[in-house]
Amino acid sequence: MPDDLVFMMGNFEARIPQDRVYSKSHLWLMPGEDRWRVGFTAYSVRLLQDVYFLDWAVDPFTQVREKQKIGEIESSKALSDLYAPSAGRILEFNEELLNDPSAINQADNYDKGWLFEMESEAQWLTPTEYLQILEDGWEQAQRIIKGQLN
Amino acid sequence: MADKKLTVVISQAQGKNPAKRELEESLAAALLMEADLEVSLVPHLYDLSADHTGTLFLQAIRGDVVVLSWLYPRACHWVLDRLDVRGREGLVLLKEEVDEAEEDPEAAESTSVPFVNPERQKSIPDRKIYSIDLRVSSTLDDYLTEIKRLSQDAQVQTFQLGNMLQETPRPAQLEKYLKPLDIISAQKMGGNVAEADQLEPTKRRWYPVIDYGLCTNCMECIDFCLFGVYGVDQGGQILVEEQDSCKKGCPACSRVCPENAIIFPGHKTPGIAGADGEVAGLKIDLSKLFGAPDALEMAARERDVELVAEGRDAVGLSVGIPSRLKVSQSTSDELDDLIDSLDAMEL
Repeated sequence: MPDDLVFMMGNFEARIPQDRVYSKSHLWLMPGEDRWRVGFTAYSVRLLQDVYFLDWAVDPFTQVREKQKIGEIESSKALSDLYAPSAGRILEFNEELLNDPSAINQADNYDKGWLFEMESEAQWLTPTEYLQILEDGWEQAQRIIKGQLN
Repeated sequence: MADKKLTVVISQAQGKNPAKRELEESLAAALLMEADLEVSLVPHLYDLSADHTGTLFLQAIRGDVVVLSWLYPRACHWVLDRLDVRGREGLVLLKEEVDEAEEDPEAAESTSVPFVNPERQKSIPDRKIYSIDLRVSSTLDDYLTEIKRLSQDAQVQTFQLGNMLQETPRPAQLEKYLKPLDIISAQKMGGNVAEADQLEPTKRRWYPVIDYGLCTNCMECIDFCLFGVYGVDQGGQILVEEQDSCKKGCPACSRVCPENAIIFPGHKTPGIAGADGEVAGLKIDLSKLFGAPDALEMAARERDVELVAEGRDAVGLSVGIPSRLKVSQSTSDELDDLIDSLDAMEL
């Protein structure tokens, strides 16, 4: 397995493992037998920081549209609605996180901190493509964040 | 009733939330003790129909009025306006915390409007309506302090119950609104009270409310809505003509409005429910980064759901979508500011 790609967010190294694929909305997707396991990228986690609240708005086995709202997340610094990365069917949520969402943070985001599993036929981004998106979107992302800090 | 009194209206919450009911009751009880206040209780403003006696009661109030409701102040003001209960927006100090720097008391009292309709201007009496959101504090004293402050400032006029009594419907029907504790105790008793002591029931409603302090009369809402909710009055001004044609839960026209002038007081998103300014809150909203659809896309989708529910064809973005690019007016200023604050970030 090749080394992780790295995107520099200021001084922070956001790792992009090459064993999986990515969505534009900053989620990673790991292929399973008939499903994708989905979680936050290091980039997302760095922006959120210290997640302490996670809530899902749909039940398992719900058919979703792309960009349909499926939940909410809140951290000490930020909040966000969460959206389906593509059309498909949500199969299961990570139960562990519902008791304690802290596994989303830090080192576990690519592993124990997975969010949900879904069926999808969508085309995802390769790690290199995702890195490119981060590079292209970094200025805009900073604007979105900083525009709200004033 | 020759005393000069400031009228305070408590508008009840929808549903029967005990905490809300309790605050309403304690407020009514405490305010009744104040000699210079006239206290009344009406159902939730948004649910009042034009012929409800609660509406007639509100319309009969003269002089300044304080309205306590479970609504954002801006939503409260324009729902009242819709009910033909009009006045200028009075400055309330008890409200949701926002950045001090953006506060401008002068602006809050400003009376200029983007679209001038002389007929409409004439219909606005020279009095102030103070809208207070009952969600900003759960402490009774906060409200009492603010209302006392207002009653000192307010232009208190003789409460002309006499005039009101001469009008139809029968006075007893309106007078009961001035006995808030009787109403509340009747509600607690459930069905076991004389009909005369009970408020007429209201039904939950869903319709847009226009903030004429922001509306530029651009007509994008009337182009977008395919359910015939909007119309134009004789002065050429947009109005909500067929409010009951509106689709429950659908806030699409509000998203399309370039001025954020369309309020759905019951929507869960503060910006749509009438919160001031850009979406309130001290936290960073990352929704755009995490894949939120843009407002027009969302509006078209919500409209399609309602069209299909009626057996009509979905139209997507092909009908009534503004051709110009929607650019938030604040964007360029924000960009300058954020670039200044760039170094402050710890990324």
